[in-house]
Amino acid sequence: MSNVEKIEVDALVVGSGIAGLQSALDLADQGYSVAIVEKNPSIGGKMISLSKVFPTLDCASCITTPRMASVSHHPRITTLTYSTVDAIKRENGVFTAAVTRKPRYIDEKECISCKRCEDVCPVYLPDEYEQGMGAKKTISIPFTNAIPQYPVMHPEHCIRCGACARACPKDCIEFLQEPAPVEIKAKAVILATGYETTPMTAKKQYGLGELPNVISPMAAERLLAPHGPYGRVLRPSDGMVPGSIAYVQCAGSRDKSIGVPYCSRVCCMYAIKQAILLSGSLPIADITIYYMDIRAFGKGYEQFYNNARAMGINFVKAKVARISEDEKHNPILRIERQEGTSAPEEVKHELVVLSQGLVPACDVSGYGLGSENNDFGFVKLSDETVSSAVTAGAGVFAAGTVKGPRDIPDSVVDAGSAAMEAVSYIRKL
Amino acid sequence: MKLNPELIDEIKKYGAFDISACFNCGNCTAVCPLSKEDASFPRKLIRAGHVGMEEKIGSALEPWHCYYCGECSATCPREAQPGEYMMALRRYLIARYDITGLSKLFYKAGWLQTWLTAGLFAAVLWLYRSYTGDFGALAAKIEMAFPVYVTIALGGYILNMYRHAIVKPLGGIKASLKPAHIVETFVHGFTQKNFIGCEETDWTRWIAHLLVMSGYTLTLVISNLHLLEPLNKRYPVIGPVSLLVWYAGFAILVGGGLMTLRRVFKSAESSKFSHPSDWLFVIMMFLIGVSTLATLGLNVLRGPADPLLAQVYRVNIAIETVWILLVVPFTKWIHIFFRPLAVYFQHVRKEVEAGTAFSL
Repeated sequence: MSNVEKIEVDALVVGSGIAGLQSALDLADQGYSVAIVEKNPSIGGKMISLSKVFPTLDCASCITTPRMASVSHHPRITTLTYSTVDAIKRENGVFTAAVTRKPRYIDEKECISCKRCEDVCPVYLPDEYEQGMGAKKTISIPFTNAIPQYPVMHPEHCIRCGACARACPKDCIEFLQEPAPVEIKAKAVILATGYETTPMTAKKQYGLGELPNVISPMAAERLLAPHGPYGRVLRPSDGMVPGSIAYVQCAGSRDKSIGVPYCSRVCCMYAIKQAILLSGSLPIADITIYYMDIRAFGKGYEQFYNNARAMGINFVKAKVARISEDEKHNPILRIERQEGTSAPEEVKHELVVLSQGLVPACDVSGYGLGSENNDFGFVKLSDETVSSAVTAGAGVFAAGTVKGPRDIPDSVVDAGSAAMEAVSYIRKL
Repeated sequence: MKLNPELIDEIKKYGAFDISACFNCGNCTAVCPLSKEDASFPRKLIRAGHVGMEEKIGSALEPWHCYYCGECSATCPREAQPGEYMMALRRYLIARYDITGLSKLFYKAGWLQTWLTAGLFAAVLWLYRSYTGDFGALAAKIEMAFPVYVTIALGGYILNMYRHAIVKPLGGIKASLKPAHIVETFVHGFTQKNFIGCEETDWTRWIAHLLVMSGYTLTLVISNLHLLEPLNKRYPVIGPVSLLVWYAGFAILVGGGLMTLRRVFKSAESSKFSHPSDWLFVIMMFLIGVSTLATLGLNVLRGPADPLLAQVYRVNIAIETVWILLVVPFTKWIHIFFRPLAVYFQHVRKEVEAGTAFSL
């Protein structure tokens, strides 16, 4: 193709979660130009979809949105959303990234985010931002506080009725849009591709995601978020207000049988946080956390845990071995109660959250940048004792959970460290 | 309570090499479909092993409740192989109940039993071949001696198990005289029906066991009643005794063959780890089947006076002799008796707790 869009910056940041945003801001505020590439239609990563953060119970979007806004308005930051990095090459100290802008099927320069297309579209889809619990239109803005506020059309579901095109006041619906290549040249690369939670299908004994009232922690976050799919906490199978909720700790980590032997560091804390929030929104519900051991290691975490206990949240030391359900889709957990005489037991709850672990979202070793992965697919640091951001690849730095599970404060701190390492590298060039 | 810090290393000599990885989460107990309120395992036994509670392990009945479906090993977060630990405990307990100390030696020294078996087989075969008298009559006497020997060995085991599981921990001779309990014990002995309680019943394993057991029991009946006299009579292809022998031989062959294949290909959790004694067991089983079939086959084809038949029959009796002398009393063969007994002893314990037990 002749007219490849070309961008030249000091640093390329792959991923725009809290770590990517923070490192981009830290670089740009020091006077360096940055390009961010994000595969999703909006920046903000996982954090923007969370309800609150631990242990302060601050609103997650209240912390993320100012950073998202700063990034999108920053004069030295170019943001490419709904775009994928297909390849990165390093030649004579310069990285060249081949990026593809996926088509939104609208003219982004003309769109005024009026949402008229979304209003008239007749086709509903499960909303993946709401973890499949709510519905969205086939052409829609991904979520309320998404940046940029452009709608995305999903052509595989579109019935080509043309309602959106007729409703658009700027005439910017483009059914024939094609993927557009972009070439980004940069002196340094920061990898911030983040994590995914362990899939619901990881453990056969936990129902393979087929039990409607056994939900993922991200779904629980959406249920608890003030602008979530139902506006309050209801269980998915029948819309009942659950009276008894259980958390299954280590559902997707510290388990060699599913290939995730490491501790994911955040599950104990997010489960405690969600339990506290749940007891706020459902004051009479019984909340039980089944755990192997509670790992509350950060500043103020132990106090947070003790508060949860004092609030009446049940902590039961037991590893849940199986989950089944009764005819009303109430999940039944099989555990061994270790206190007292110690006996296997089946306990019924009305809603169960699997505290899943963190696994790498993206295999960045495929880029061939010289950075290596560890045994679990996370990026390996060249020497952890010297730097928390330098990888084995020259000019390649890593920020946030791409290096392994960590919580938001840790991700923000080491995003700053990745930015500093990148700056010192660029200045030496 | 006395603790033995070396206990876990001792148990590891019987298998279960990975058990130190256990972090005591209890997944194994919770995932086990056979683990009950009054008999919860494997976690408690792993813990007891790690802290060295020798008496608790020595008196444990739970290992006999486990049918090694392998769910615990497949789902263990630490891959500590709790199912294999239960298997190791069964070996450990057999060694403990055995007064001669030979089981212990065989289990720990690995291939020793195999070499001894091979040596004894050679010696016995040499004896039988150098016997110049009527071998048919000698074989009858040898076969009659088998049940006497097995009964003595078994009696010793049962008494010792009773001593370890009931007399020592409960402080005296206790029993349950309820007919229901006694009947249940026999039903378990014949059907091993708890096996069906396993979550995903491993039907190949069950069928293999059924074939081997039925074939083997028939072989016992045939030899103890001295039904087969290949050197004296000619048997038709289809006749009452022939049919019994055909079935017994083929059942053992197919069942033993299935068991061997499963161990070679490690197709299930229960066949992933093979102790030398397991190999000896399945191979001997297989040889008994082959030699019995060959004996009858030669008799049917060539008649009782065939010289090759005389040799094959001697091999057949020699294998059976070694099997009875060395394999039956000192390997897992006897677990079929311990399983129903454990069910009975469990009842006795409950009765003692309730104060309704018969005691001396």
